[in-house]
Amino acid sequence: MFDIIAKEEHGSILTILVIGFFFGAIILYSRLDKFEKMAGFLLFEDTLAIRMAMTTVGLSSIGFYFLVANGYASFDVKPTLLGGLIIGAVLFGTGLVILGKCPAAFFVSVSEGRIDALVGVIGGMVGGAVFTYFYPYIQKIMEPNFGKIRLPDFFTEYGMVITVVFGVLLLVGAYLLPSLEYKDPADFKNSKD
Amino acid sequence: MPKQIPWWAGGIAMSLLFYFSFSIWGADRSIGASTGMAYISTMLFGLDSSHYEYTKEIESSGAWEALMLLGVFFGGLFTSLFITKSFHISLIPTLWKERKNKSVPSRMFWSFIGGFLLVFGARLAGGCNAGHVLSGGSQMAISGFIFTILALGTGMLVGRVFYKKKKACDV
Repeated sequence: MFDIIAKEEHGSILTILVIGFFFGAIILYSRLDKFEKMAGFLLFEDTLAIRMAMTTVGLSSIGFYFLVANGYASFDVKPTLLGGLIIGAVLFGTGLVILGKCPAAFFVSVSEGRIDALVGVIGGMVGGAVFTYFYPYIQKIMEPNFGKIRLPDFFTEYGMVITVVFGVLLLVGAYLLPSLEYKDPADFKNSKD
Repeated sequence: MPKQIPWWAGGIAMSLLFYFSFSIWGADRSIGASTGMAYISTMLFGLDSSHYEYTKEIESSGAWEALMLLGVFFGGLFTSLFITKSFHISLIPTLWKERKNKSVPSRMFWSFIGGFLLVFGARLAGGCNAGHVLSGGSQMAISGFIFTILALGTGMLVGRVFYKKKKACDV
C-alpha cells in the first residue's frame, strides 16, 4: 500500500493522514456520522446533512474553478458510465437509508463506539470483495461510457458565469432551507451540563 | 467547547479541507472514500492485482483513499473522545428505535445489508457521497449530478416504504 502511494504524486503519507484526520473530525463534530443526520434527512426529520453538503459544494465549486484557472489544481472528474451510475446510485441510495451513513462516515461512527456501524463496514467489505470477484461480468452492464464530462463543457465560453451562479444558488438554497433538527436524547445522556 | 458545530460552520470547514486536498499544495486530487473501502476489502480477502482486473484498476487511487480512511478513523476517535466526549458503545440508533424496531438482531442484519449495498452500489457507480456528491458536485461533473439525484431520490422513496410513518402527534 505505502509503496503505491510513494510512487504517486498525490501528497506524502503524512499529508494524506492529516487530510483524513480533519475529514473524520469535521464529520464527527458536525454529527454527520449519526443515523439521525443521514437517514434522518432522507426521512425529512433533519436538514443538517443537506445544508452542509450544499454549503460545501457551493463554496468548493467556486474555489475549485479559480484554483484550476490559476494553475494551482486540475479537474479530476469521474467518467459518466451511465448503466453503472443508474444501477449503482439506486443500490447506494437504498443502502444509505438503511444503514444511515455513507462510506467514510461509517468509519467515524465506528470510532464513536457504534457497533451497528461496524457491522455495516463488514457488510461493505463483503460488498467490495463480491464486486471485485464478479467485475468481469458486471463490467458489461456499466456501459455506455460518455467520458469525463462536466456541465461547463456544454457552454465553454461561460465557464466562470455558470460556476459562480451554480455556487451562489447552492449557498442561497442552503440558507433558505428550513432548520429541522432531530434531537437525539442519547446525545445528552452522558453530558453533565 | 460546544458539542456540535452548525451546518454552515461544517460546510465552510469541509470546503477549506477540499481546497487543500484539491490543490497542488495538498494532494492534487479530490477526496473520495469508497474506492478505499474496495481496496481494503481486496487486501482482506486476498484478491491481488495479478489475478483480479478490478484490483489492478483501483490500486493507485484505492491505496490513497485507504490511508485517508485510516486518518478518518483517528480523526473521529480523537474528536469523540476529547471534543464532543460522545464516545460510548451503542447498538441501535434512536431514530431506528422510533421508526423501525428495538431489536438488536434486526438492526445488525439490516446494517450488514445496508453496508453491502452501499459499497457494492458505490463501486458500480464509481463513487459515493464523498467522490460523487461532494467532489463531483464541486467540479460540476455530470456523473456527480446523476448520482446525487438518483441516490437521494431512491433513499427518500425506500425510506417511505422501509420505515414506519412518523407518529401523528409529532407532526
